[in-house]
Amino acid sequence: MGCVYSKKVRRSPGYEEPALLASETPFTVSEVEALYELFKKLSSSIINDGLIHKEEFQLALFKNSNRRNLFADRVFDLFDVKRNGVIEFGEFVRSLGIFHPNAPIADKVAFAFKLYDLRQTGYIEREELKEMVLALLNESDLTLSEDVVETIVNKTFNEADSNGDGRIDPEEWKEFVSRNPSLIKNMTLPYLKDITIAFPSFVLNSEVEDADMAA
Amino acid sequence: MKPICLNAFDIISLSPGFDLSGLFEKPNNQKAEARFTTKNSASAIVSKLEEIAQMERFNVKKKDGLVQLQGIKLGRKGQLAIEAEIFEVTPTFHMVEVKKRAGDTLEYQNFCTKELRPSLKDMIWTWQGEQQQQLPQPL
Repeated sequence: MGCVYSKKVRRSPGYEEPALLASETPFTVSEVEALYELFKKLSSSIINDGLIHKEEFQLALFKNSNRRNLFADRVFDLFDVKRNGVIEFGEFVRSLGIFHPNAPIADKVAFAFKLYDLRQTGYIEREELKEMVLALLNESDLTLSEDVVETIVNKTFNEADSNGDGRIDPEEWKEFVSRNPSLIKNMTLPYLKDITIAFPSFVLNSEVEDADMAA
Repeated sequence: MKPICLNAFDIISLSPGFDLSGLFEKPNNQKAEARFTTKNSASAIVSKLEEIAQMERFNVKKKDGLVQLQGIKLGRKGQLAIEAEIFEVTPTFHMVEVKKRAGDTLEYQNFCTKELRPSLKDMIWTWQGEQQQQLPQPL
């Protein structure tokens, strides 16, 4: 096996220094180091290459690497900023930073918009909203009649689509969220604030050397 | 008793695909909350919860779609306190979120499995809770 990296410090592509990441996200340096321990665990669960693949992401979220989920796919794609099919460490920390309680609300609002803009047209279309509602009902084993689904989608859409052009643009989304702040509730993970306290095993592990990253 | 209305985006955000806590949690982490859907009206749900509270000796406090059950008996970590919040999706489709407010998690889970869920059985459409799997209920 070709050994490109030095024995002591072996970094995967997309690795960024904790100091840099801490300066550009709400995390402190030790929090970024704790996240690195988490990242190493997640990125080696199936393919040991220091990158989080879709299956590893699914495994972490659902304890099942084959479980497909529309929303998990969207989250994965947004974390994969470079769109190269994997989540690198830098992307991981920067994306998680948006979920930090101290992250700017505007970032959370924008991220949520992109999440729901399934086809990345820059707008949330009515069909996309309906598709997401149906996907949620489907994954929950719930069936609602077509009428009821239409009612739910229409009511929400009419509230949000203030200029009535059949799609929600980023401005309308911002206004809609300001009237309904619970819409971005899932964009904040409170325990990110004290990740080194909440997950003490990571604090212990960061004292261990990177010696056993498999070649 | 006015439940909060859920819009389409609220519903979508319930997906476990958005729940990133799985990235951080250890597999045996027990959550002290559950969710179920029901086709009954909000007032029917509240009445049923009050019935259960009375049978199991809980005090009930109600406010705006929130029903709080306060246990009288002293458990392992004090009195068990449970909260049920009712959300309306449509007038005939509600979602109820059940959470432990105080007390021992194990006692809470026992209560849910042995008392709450069986008593609510006829009302529950689907149940999403401590068990990973959702059991589809016959309609």
